[in-house]
Amino acid sequence: MIRNKSMKRATLASAIVATSAMVLSIVPAQANSTGVTATSIKLGVSTPLTGSAGLVYGKVPGAMRAYFDYINANGGVNGRKISLVIRDDKYLPTLAATQTTNLILKDKVFALVGALGTATHSKAYTAAALAKNNVPDLFINTGFSGFANKTKYPTTFMVLPTYNMEAKVMAKVIKDNFPGQATFMIAQDDEFGADGVAGFTTAGHKFTATPTLYPQGTMTAARAEGALTALGAVPGKPVLVLFGTTDVTATLLKAAEKLELTKKFTFLAGSVGADANTLLALGVKPTTIDGVISASFLPDAKDLTDPYVKQFIDINTRYNQGVTFDNYVLAGMNSAMLTVQALRAAGKNLTRAGLMSAIEAKGSTFASAGLVPLGYSATSRVGYNGYWVSQLNAQGEGKPYGGKLVIYTTDSGAGAVEISTFVRPTMPKNGIPTNS
Amino acid sequence: MKNLKLTKGLIALSSAALIAAFTVAVPTVARAADKCEETIVFFGIQVVDVEKCTGTDDNKSKYEIMMPAKFNGTLMVYSHGIRYNVNLPKIPVVAPNGSLIDYSPAVSPSDEVTSALLAQGFALAGAGVQTQGWNLEEGVEAALQVLTIARDKYSKINKVVTWGNSLGGLTSQALAEQYSGAVDAALPMCIADSAQAEITMAGDFLWGMKSLFNPAIKGSGYSAGQAGYVEMLTDLGTVLTTFQALQAALAANITAPAWPSTSTAPAALKALPVRSAILLLGLMAGVPTQSPDYDASSGPAGASETSFGLVISPALAVLQNGAEAAVLAVIANYDMEVRYGGVVFDNSTTNYVARVSEELDQYAAALTGRNSALAVLGYLGLLPKVKADPAAVAKMNSAYQLQGKIEVPTITLSATADHITPAGAAQYLKNQYDAAVANGVAKSGKLLNIWNKPDDAYTEFSSAGAPVAQTVKPNGTGHCNYTTSQILAVAKLIASAAKTGKLPSNRAVQAAIKNEPNLFVDPNFAPPLLKFRQ
Repeated sequence: MIRNKSMKRATLASAIVATSAMVLSIVPAQANSTGVTATSIKLGVSTPLTGSAGLVYGKVPGAMRAYFDYINANGGVNGRKISLVIRDDKYLPTLAATQTTNLILKDKVFALVGALGTATHSKAYTAAALAKNNVPDLFINTGFSGFANKTKYPTTFMVLPTYNMEAKVMAKVIKDNFPGQATFMIAQDDEFGADGVAGFTTAGHKFTATPTLYPQGTMTAARAEGALTALGAVPGKPVLVLFGTTDVTATLLKAAEKLELTKKFTFLAGSVGADANTLLALGVKPTTIDGVISASFLPDAKDLTDPYVKQFIDINTRYNQGVTFDNYVLAGMNSAMLTVQALRAAGKNLTRAGLMSAIEAKGSTFASAGLVPLGYSATSRVGYNGYWVSQLNAQGEGKPYGGKLVIYTTDSGAGAVEISTFVRPTMPKNGIPTNS
Repeated sequence: MKNLKLTKGLIALSSAALIAAFTVAVPTVARAADKCEETIVFFGIQVVDVEKCTGTDDNKSKYEIMMPAKFNGTLMVYSHGIRYNVNLPKIPVVAPNGSLIDYSPAVSPSDEVTSALLAQGFALAGAGVQTQGWNLEEGVEAALQVLTIARDKYSKINKVVTWGNSLGGLTSQALAEQYSGAVDAALPMCIADSAQAEITMAGDFLWGMKSLFNPAIKGSGYSAGQAGYVEMLTDLGTVLTTFQALQAALAANITAPAWPSTSTAPAALKALPVRSAILLLGLMAGVPTQSPDYDASSGPAGASETSFGLVISPALAVLQNGAEAAVLAVIANYDMEVRYGGVVFDNSTTNYVARVSEELDQYAAALTGRNSALAVLGYLGLLPKVKADPAAVAKMNSAYQLQGKIEVPTITLSATADHITPAGAAQYLKNQYDAAVANGVAKSGKLLNIWNKPDDAYTEFSSAGAPVAQTVKPNGTGHCNYTTSQILAVAKLIASAAKTGKLPSNRAVQAAIKNEPNLFVDPNFAPPLLKFRQ
């Protein structure tokens, strides 16, 4: 065993070739097509299906799968059928890390699509080594501006505009429509709320009082009533910005109902927390949501005049049976349509690197239901670059605020909020992209 | 180290010269076995004939060599993990019956593994190092001596594997790097990081406990002599009672547990549920947020299905991990201070806010909000820090530090939720190795990392929705908590590597672990380094 060193060296040279071969077999090649065969493409998503978040967001992955099934029934993408592995992370960071790792190591998916949540996905991204594995991380459902950092998240493509952008648009709406009114903000105490607060600050908006920040999961009815009672004494009709999840918006609106303060405030709810169907399902009265102002980048799911909505409803009816079409189904199908276009743009020789390059090069031209422009480029991983402002009615429909659709675009930095003349691409025939 | 009788002055040589000297002129003067006897070992229904030799080496370390009659040519030299270097009186939980310093030799992690490996024809050897506690240098020397004794006695030994658990994993790796000509392969399991990295993790947690929950905890700076020993024992008691107070608070109100009465934190901080402060301490120190009973991924069916996993489970996991780690931390820190002649833990320049900046967002809900956590950190920032004795630190760091200069096939096995030796220690070795390869001082293709993870979800709940304590630690949690079959699987791989001089192929690795769902290999998997390294 205690060998002569010269003998060891003699054997070393001959071992180098074999060793190199072994290393190559262990380390996957970077230009890989894991999850892709001649006839299939395997995608994956870690997202809440159960638990409290699953009740709200659980429809999204099913909607994506339904759209993929529809595409598969119409020939797939370059002859390949798309499958979507869905793993339930319950909106828990640790479980999201586990499930995302499972998608990479066990399911061996080609790419991720539609991961949901900031805390969950930021933990999962690192844990599953998505950057090192060069796994495309497509169209994530979070507006945390940190995900636009290409250095930190080199494989990530956002789809939502950033919360920062949203806050800047909201600030403009307040400035243009509610001059002189007191303004307050109640926001989640994490990167979601922090992004929003930062956006208002960047826009130069000063709230009448320091924003109230609450940890996720702590906005009880009593706390909501306490907060609104205090604000109820403010003269006039204050604007109250609600920058949290839908369940918290519901808690606050129900508190307003109990305190008979629903007409005391102008409620300006962030896009994350203003889904009308969910608010109604959580027991908010139709009369309460009537007048709530929000921001969105997609058309309203109840707008049957919208060709994208009509097409997606048709697909939902046929491939997602038993599931009511709503904003979450719309969002899921929209992301799936973007995915199909990205896969097509990447060409027949599908690789992870090629897919990401294709989105950078062509993503801004993809057809989508979004009423605001997509911003993908070699330097930007942000999806939609703005919002339109809607106002809910008692039927839960989101109508353009002020009666006219106005599209605002901006960035996550110091850029101004501008009115855009953007006209979205026409709906592909039968909802089947043909781009290349 | 000074008291060691070095093997022919090997240690005094430079590293490069050392290898050459060792490979051509290893002394054969090490002591012969004191006593050998024929014995049998049962492995299931199989009877294995074994010659068992025991003795003491030149440094008075006890050793044991087990040579099966049907020897396959490979000797596995095992280095055990850290053991207390003090006798302990009866202390609940820590030493219910009291304990004496354990100097017994160990040839594998368990009797079951021992019998299985002997049945496969491996010879086994190991020492009970003559100095316990953080004994990296003595451990390397003891392993070298028993290796040499075995080779002198059994010329039929063709290959040698060095392996070990925890500090023993670090010992085996240090041996392989320093004396690569002496071994053919290395298998560091649940490898520890350096003394400074490990004591930083332990010290951070203890300092946090002291600062937030009980200023009576001393944590560091123990007096010399008997007074210091008494202080250490007192600290053990104080730490335990503090944990008991925290556990009682959680039992009384798991959602909004109160702070212990011993806390001197401002009332505004105490308005937070103490579980958030516990979690923050864990994040500051790098304690895993998964423990044997709490997976941070499950909740009881019903209203708290999500909230339990989101806001409660991670804190309970830190508490469970921290209780075990803190006890070891007190004893290990005391041992190191005695050994190195002064305070070795230092947080005088630690920026805890920067350390947890990312985790503040990921665990915002469990921390009762980002700003609440920042308030706690702000308070901690105002408190006195610990300043180490530079001479003691220098002495501690004069021990061999891993270089990543890996010349023989090396396989690590580390668990993602190990709370004593986090997987980041193996990642550090990987980083060192990658750097060594990039710098041309090590050859590529010599290191394989195998990772051990818990099941996706494993917390169990009663019908009333309360978490239930596990009777057996789930695999992937706890310290060096590997199953026998997992150890045998990696042992088989490293034995193969020792024979061929090459790491096993990807196919062979996958075949070896195909029935081990909690093991995985991913060249790109990178667990977080210990906080000291970040």
